[in-house]
Amino acid sequence: MQSKLSDIDLIEQTLAGNQSAYADLVKRHQRFVFTLALRFSKNREDAEEIAQDCFIKAYRALTSYGGQSKFSTWLYTIVYNTAMTFLRKKRIATDSIDDEATFIQVENHESAYDTDNVENKSRSFYLNQAITQLLPDDAIIITLFYKGEQSLEEIAQTLGMEANTVKVKLFRARQRLKDKLERNLKHEVKELI
Amino acid sequence: MNTIEEKLWNYIDGACTPAEQDAIARLIEQDEAYSKKYQELLQLNLEFTAMELDEPSMAFTYNVMETIRAENARQPLKATIDKRIIIGIAIFFVFTILALLVFAFANTHFQPASFDVNIKLPAAIKLPNAASIFTSPVFKWFIVFDVVLALFLSDSYLRRKKTTKQA
Repeated sequence: MQSKLSDIDLIEQTLAGNQSAYADLVKRHQRFVFTLALRFSKNREDAEEIAQDCFIKAYRALTSYGGQSKFSTWLYTIVYNTAMTFLRKKRIATDSIDDEATFIQVENHESAYDTDNVENKSRSFYLNQAITQLLPDDAIIITLFYKGEQSLEEIAQTLGMEANTVKVKLFRARQRLKDKLERNLKHEVKELI
Repeated sequence: MNTIEEKLWNYIDGACTPAEQDAIARLIEQDEAYSKKYQELLQLNLEFTAMELDEPSMAFTYNVMETIRAENARQPLKATIDKRIIIGIAIFFVFTILALLVFAFANTHFQPASFDVNIKLPAAIKLPNAASIFTSPVFKWFIVFDVVLALFLSDSYLRRKKTTKQA
């Protein structure tokens, strides 16, 4: 019954003082927010910290949510800004996309315990592996587009960019993801032979 | 200039005009290179759509709600005290001090030669002996209480400052 309530209904209930309504809202969006945070931090602990921080910030700012955009778009904007601040604080190198050393390290780490069951690995495993090797911006755009049910305009609003820029970025991100995916699969096949 | 892939992605995303859509559909039907690339991108698109989301820890929602509850528990002192009450108290004190100053100045006769200040108090008001005030045990306890309060407040202020810095 409760799960059928819309985001707006839950927000109204939260603002009326019902904290369990906000817990429902957190449960509804936590997987996606956590995944977005993970795209930035590449580390589960940090991602959990970012995601929690986002929900707390969203709770504090709930009165300022006017309902002009979808709650998810508003929430993802908070996630993006929080993650960017977190990255700046932690000084994570975001230019690692072509960093061969990192790439080799990731590959070796994965292949060290996964070479035996290559056949059992699904394409989704390789896809997730390839996504973790992308730049945070690329990974975010792909995740928002495919899993966030966000249009190009909504993604543009979340990231503070023009819709056309997002379109170009999405195209490039897909190209890079495709390259990474092929590269990883080729590497696994080589290891098998 | 759009590449084949760019055109095909736009076609798959439904981001092209009806005319462009018709043209690309025809190319996919007639041109083998387009058809092959289209199938490849379509497959990729399916994989991207089927991408799985990561799951946070079991205690995630609990942790968020606990932090919010803790914040709310700390808030009432700040939030429930009406600002108008604080302003009212401030106005009362300001007026009292001003009235006292006006009264003091109105009843003061300056004697420039000796710099003696002679305040004429009404007969009903008798000031207690200043020396006995400063040596009384009540005054000493009051000072001790003030020092402890000052230490407590400065400690909580520094703690708050530290946690804000860490956050």
